[in-house]
Amino acid sequence: MTLLAFARGPALQAAVLIMIAGICWRLAGIFLLRRRKRFALPRASVTGRIGGAFTTILTRFVPRRTFWPRIAVSVMLSGVFHIGLLIILLGGAPHIQVIHQVTGLTWPNLPKGLIVIVSGLTLASMIGLLIRRVLNPVLRLLSTVDDYLSWLLVFLPVLSGVLLSGETIGGYGTLLALHILSVELLMIWLPFGKLMHMLLVFAGRGAMGIDFARKGAAT
Amino acid sequence: MLARCGFGRRGLLKFAIAMTSSLALPPSVAPVMAANLAKAKRRSVIWLSFQECTGCLETLLRSSSPTIDQLIFDFISLDYQESLMAAAGSAAEQTLREAMAANKGEYLLAIDGSIPVKDGGVYSLTGGRSNLSMLEEVAADAKAVLAIGTCAAYGGIPKAYPNPTGAVGVEDLVSNKPIVNIPGCPPVPEVLSGVLVHFISFGRLPELDDRKRPLAYFGTTIHDQCYRRPFYDQGKFAKSFDDDGARQGWCLFELGCKGPVTHNACASLKWNGGTSFPIEAGHGCIGCSEPDFWDAGGFYTSLAGGSATGWKSAGIAAAVGLAGGAAAALSTRIATPLEDAPASPPEKTPPEKTPPDKLP
Amino acid sequence: MTDFSFLADDALVDALIMEIAGLLRRLIEHGEAGIIDVLGLPLPPSCVASLEQRLGHGEVTVRLDAAGASEIRETGIPGVWWTRHSNEQGRLVAMLIEVTFVPEILKANIADVVRGAERLPALTNVALRARGADVALRARGAGRPHDAS
Repeated sequence: MTLLAFARGPALQAAVLIMIAGICWRLAGIFLLRRRKRFALPRASVTGRIGGAFTTILTRFVPRRTFWPRIAVSVMLSGVFHIGLLIILLGGAPHIQVIHQVTGLTWPNLPKGLIVIVSGLTLASMIGLLIRRVLNPVLRLLSTVDDYLSWLLVFLPVLSGVLLSGETIGGYGTLLALHILSVELLMIWLPFGKLMHMLLVFAGRGAMGIDFARKGAAT
Repeated sequence: MLARCGFGRRGLLKFAIAMTSSLALPPSVAPVMAANLAKAKRRSVIWLSFQECTGCLETLLRSSSPTIDQLIFDFISLDYQESLMAAAGSAAEQTLREAMAANKGEYLLAIDGSIPVKDGGVYSLTGGRSNLSMLEEVAADAKAVLAIGTCAAYGGIPKAYPNPTGAVGVEDLVSNKPIVNIPGCPPVPEVLSGVLVHFISFGRLPELDDRKRPLAYFGTTIHDQCYRRPFYDQGKFAKSFDDDGARQGWCLFELGCKGPVTHNACASLKWNGGTSFPIEAGHGCIGCSEPDFWDAGGFYTSLAGGSATGWKSAGIAAAVGLAGGAAAALSTRIATPLEDAPASPPEKTPPEKTPPDKLP
Repeated sequence: MTDFSFLADDALVDALIMEIAGLLRRLIEHGEAGIIDVLGLPLPPSCVASLEQRLGHGEVTVRLDAAGASEIRETGIPGVWWTRHSNEQGRLVAMLIEVTFVPEILKANIADVVRGAERLPALTNVALRARGADVALRARGAGRPHDAS
């Protein structure tokens, strides 16, 4: 079996199954935990508890003015990275193809040149984030294998993807196989490390929002 | 010799010029090739057909440059080929033995079809004799072996899952002879003619890649030579067969074209003497010159997609995950003690509040 | 996006013209012929047409009928010949730019000339009448002196 056939066949099946099982495991493991009993009566709130959850999810996207001087660099690097990745995944023609294959949905794609530019910016921001993590003494102290591994498993797909679309380095078949395999590694690691924040950030912010709304605090 | 056969000197030189261009050799080599061809004795070729559909022979019959008659009358002596020769039965077997003896060590062995090895090779027999043992015997005295078609080169369709006959390609069985793979289902006929002419002119096989395919014809992918490539680069893809985009020449990537990962000469040499090729007819490349192309996940699934799990397996995975997570949560719940609600107000009396007008 | 491909075309054509210039220099200084296989180059058809147009047409056009039709044309640059070879089915099988005094394929080969010389006496009226053939021999340019190259 060629590497590409392996990547598009058994490896893909295994990665998808592990990712689904892992995500369900972690979500069940978190949501089925006992919650702290609240004995105080809920206060009146403008948004209500569910509204509070959604409001907090949105408001936490905007950095607080007080902290801005200290967090500006990391917020901007992180913003370029996240938004860049979103543009690549939702705007790139082959990715829309994959989504179409799974869900049947499709939409017009962005021009390849634009995706390549965005990929370059995404890679640059990722390198910036890594440099920051290594140079900042506090971050360096706090960083674990999970942090570096998660960075690597996101960096490799973006790098292999942009090399593949350029079609200058390496054979198309080999690069495509490596790109798909790197995505599969990402899928396998996703539920078990900090990459799970993809889903949990919304759960966490939502829980905070419900709590604050219950207390009558601003969400 | 060749002038007597009706191929004048200028015709032969023209043919050599065309061949050097096709083989990607420098044009200055053409007079050398023409001179060698004029002097060359017709090379003996023994053609054995194994587990095949005869498509590879059919494609050779439709070769345009040189034509099949030019090939077998002017360039090679096709001493044994079961479909084309007049002899049959024991007369055919005698022909084979005589050809092998007369050209011992010098004949080219051309094979089409894969070779089944399971159960002693009983799944493909010629005259009661297994292809496996025929290959062993005839390859022993051959100068070189040409594996024609994807079946002979890599196993082809008989090797596709579940491969009930244990089919393999020639290179899995022959190790002590030079082998050239000319894959394709079927291969472009001019590729075979090119290889034969090169061998006859220069006495050696052309340069091969790491899959033993002639670099001149298999050095680039279909994608690299495809006339629809500008549309791929611009992101203009046909969404269904023969839609408006497809008719304007838009790329067939989304319809499952395997051009980017397929090495062959179809996009440049084309078929039927340069008439057309599958992509020009509106169907994506199926990758027929690559190993295991039948098991590469479907002709109509694009390279961007693959064959992942069905909904049932996904459901089972989700259930397993939920179960595991629930178990983990449950064990945590059991391990941590329940919080007690405060039963009564605290006993300590609150500190006395200072009346506001008494504050300093 | 603006289409800049016309610039690329020009650069490719310029490069080829410089290569032809180099081959011409070699021909002048050493008498060595050179050939460029046009079909073997990764050139878009517009480039090929542009190059042919720039080189222009010369005084000589030769039609060759051997294993299909071929056309050998001197370009506007003496010594630079544009050759198109087609096979019997009419398909273009080779396109060359030959930098030489006379393309090799046009010259008669000594072995062919010897064979022709042997055949010639059989074409005289005496020989044909002796064979009983009723043929009127028309002077088709036979006997006209031609320059040795």
